[in-house]
Amino acid sequence: MLYKLENVQRVHGSRTVLNIERLEILPNSIYTLIGPNGAGKTSLLQILAFLDKPGSGRISFNGQQVKFNEKHLHGLRRKVVLLDQTPILFTGTVYKNVEFGLKVRRITRDLRKQRVDEMLELVGMEKFAGYDTRGLSGGEVKRVALARALALHPDVLLCDEPTANVDRENQEIILNILKKINREEKSSIIFSTHYLSQGQRLADHTLLLQNGSLSDLFDENIFRAALSRPKVEEVICRLTDQLFLNLPSDRVPPDTDSIKLQIDPKKIVLDPGGEDLVPGNYINGQVLDLSMDNGGVRVEIDVGVRLNLVVTMDDYRRKNPGIGDSRQIFIPHDGVVCSRTDLPQS
Amino acid sequence: MDLLFDSMQSAFLLLISLDAELLEIVGVSLKVSFGATIIASIVGIPTGFIIAYSVFPGKRFLLTCLNTLLALPTVVIGLFVYSFISRRGILGSLDLLYTQKAIVIGQVILIIPVITTLTIAAVSRIDARYRMTALTLGANRYQMAAVILKEARYGIFAAVIAAYGRVIAEVGISMMLGGNAKGFTRTMTTAMALEYDKGEFVLAVALGISLMAFAFGINMLFHFFQGRMKNDVV
Repeated sequence: MLYKLENVQRVHGSRTVLNIERLEILPNSIYTLIGPNGAGKTSLLQILAFLDKPGSGRISFNGQQVKFNEKHLHGLRRKVVLLDQTPILFTGTVYKNVEFGLKVRRITRDLRKQRVDEMLELVGMEKFAGYDTRGLSGGEVKRVALARALALHPDVLLCDEPTANVDRENQEIILNILKKINREEKSSIIFSTHYLSQGQRLADHTLLLQNGSLSDLFDENIFRAALSRPKVEEVICRLTDQLFLNLPSDRVPPDTDSIKLQIDPKKIVLDPGGEDLVPGNYINGQVLDLSMDNGGVRVEIDVGVRLNLVVTMDDYRRKNPGIGDSRQIFIPHDGVVCSRTDLPQS
Repeated sequence: MDLLFDSMQSAFLLLISLDAELLEIVGVSLKVSFGATIIASIVGIPTGFIIAYSVFPGKRFLLTCLNTLLALPTVVIGLFVYSFISRRGILGSLDLLYTQKAIVIGQVILIIPVITTLTIAAVSRIDARYRMTALTLGANRYQMAAVILKEARYGIFAAVIAAYGRVIAEVGISMMLGGNAKGFTRTMTTAMALEYDKGEFVLAVALGISLMAFAFGINMLFHFFQGRMKNDVV
C-alpha cells in the first residue's frame, strides 16, 4: 500500500477542513480527487505531500508510519512532489528552475543537464531553457513546473488541479504527460480536478471529497431543491417548476425547506421494466449525449435538468438509446441523497 | 544666498582638491559606517528571517519592541555604550572609549533594529508558495531559506542601504563614543558639528554637501551591484 490514512483530521480555526476515516492508495496507479471548492482537496494533497501535518490520525507511506519531525519528513518529501494549482517559478531561467531539485540532491552537473534537457523536451519547452521565467504565460509556467517536478523521477506525483486556468491545448499536453510518466516510469499520480469526465478519462480510481470527507457518490447530478411536505411521511422536492421528486420524509433533513440533492448516476434506470417493486420516481426526458465510460455508456438526458446516468454495455445494446430520443428513466429512492449543504442552483 | 553659494563653491573646491584632511575624515566615516553595516547585516538579516518564519509566543510583542528601537535616539545609545566602556564600566579595561571600535559598537546597536525589521517586512512579503515549492522539491531548511532570501533580496538590500544611510549620517554616537579626535575618530558629521561650533558655517555646509555627495556615490554603487545581481536559483 502506498498511503494508508486512518482517522486523519485537519482543523483550521473552528472549521474541520479534512476528516478522513480511512483511505488506502495503491502504488503505480492514477487517482483523481474530485470535489467542489472548499471540499478539502488541497488540504489532503498537502498532507499527502508531507507539507502539512494532520491535527490527528495516522498516516503510513510505503508501509512505514509517518513521523512528523523535520528529519523524517525531509526524507519522505524527496519521494513525493506536489505540483501546485498555481505553481510559482523561482527567479531566474527556466533551466535553473528545472535544475533546482536535482541541485539540492547534489546530482552531478552532467546528469543534471541531461535530465533538464529531457524534461523540457517532454513538456515541449526545450526552446525556452534560457528564458527568464517572468516572461512565461500561465500554461507555460505549469509545463515548466511539471518538468521541474518530473525531473526528480518522484515515486508519487501529486497535482492540484493541473489543468486549471490553462487553455485546451496545454490541458491535453499536461494530461498526456501524466499518463505517459505513469505508464513508463511507474510513478503514482494523484491529481485533483473539478471535472469528473477529465478525471475518469485518466484515472484508475476516483476519490470524491465533500466537506472534507470522502464520499461514495459522484460529484454530478447535484441540484438544489425546494421542499414541501403535504403529508407526514412524504416530501416533494421541487428541482424546477416542472420537475418534482417524491421522497419519503426519512430521506430528507427535517426542519428545512431547501436541500442539496444528489442522484447516483449508476442507480438511475433507463427505460425501466421490472423496477416497480422498488419505490422511486419515473420521469420522461430526451437523450442529449452518449459517451463511453469505464466499459459502460454514459447517457446525458434532459428531464427539465440535465441528468447523467450510466448503463452497462449490454443494457445499452438492448435499449439502444439514440441522441434526440424521448425516453423514460426511473430514479429509485435509494439513489437519492439529500443534505443541507448550500450549492448554487444547477 | 551668499552663504549657500559660498558653501557650494567651497564644497566643490574641497572635493576637487582632494584635501588630505577631508579624505582622512571621509575615510574614517566610510570605515566605521561600512564596518557597522556589515556586522549589523550579519546579525540582523538572519535574525529578521528567523523571526519572520517562526511562530512563538510573544512574537507580536517582540515586533513592537523592534519597531520602538527604530526611534532610539543616538545619544541614548551613546550613553548606554559609554556606561559599559568607560573606565568605570564593566568593559572599561578593554580601552574602547574614544576609538573607532566604540563608534562601530554604538552604530551596530543603532542599525540592527533597522535591518531586522526591514528584513522581516521583506521576507514576510514573499509568497508562501516559494517555501512550499522549495520543500516539495526536496530542499532542506537551509536551502529553503536560501530560496526565500534570494527572492527577498531587493527588500533586504534596501534594508542594508537604509541602515548604511542611518549610520553615515548619525552624529551622537560618533561624538560621544569617538570623541571627534582629529585623524582618528573624526567623521564627516562630527567634523561638521565642530566647524559649526567654531562658527565656520561655510566649511560646515561644505562638509555637509561633501557628505551628501559621498552618500550619493555609495548609493549609486549599491544600486549598480543590485542591478547586476545574478539570477541564480540556488
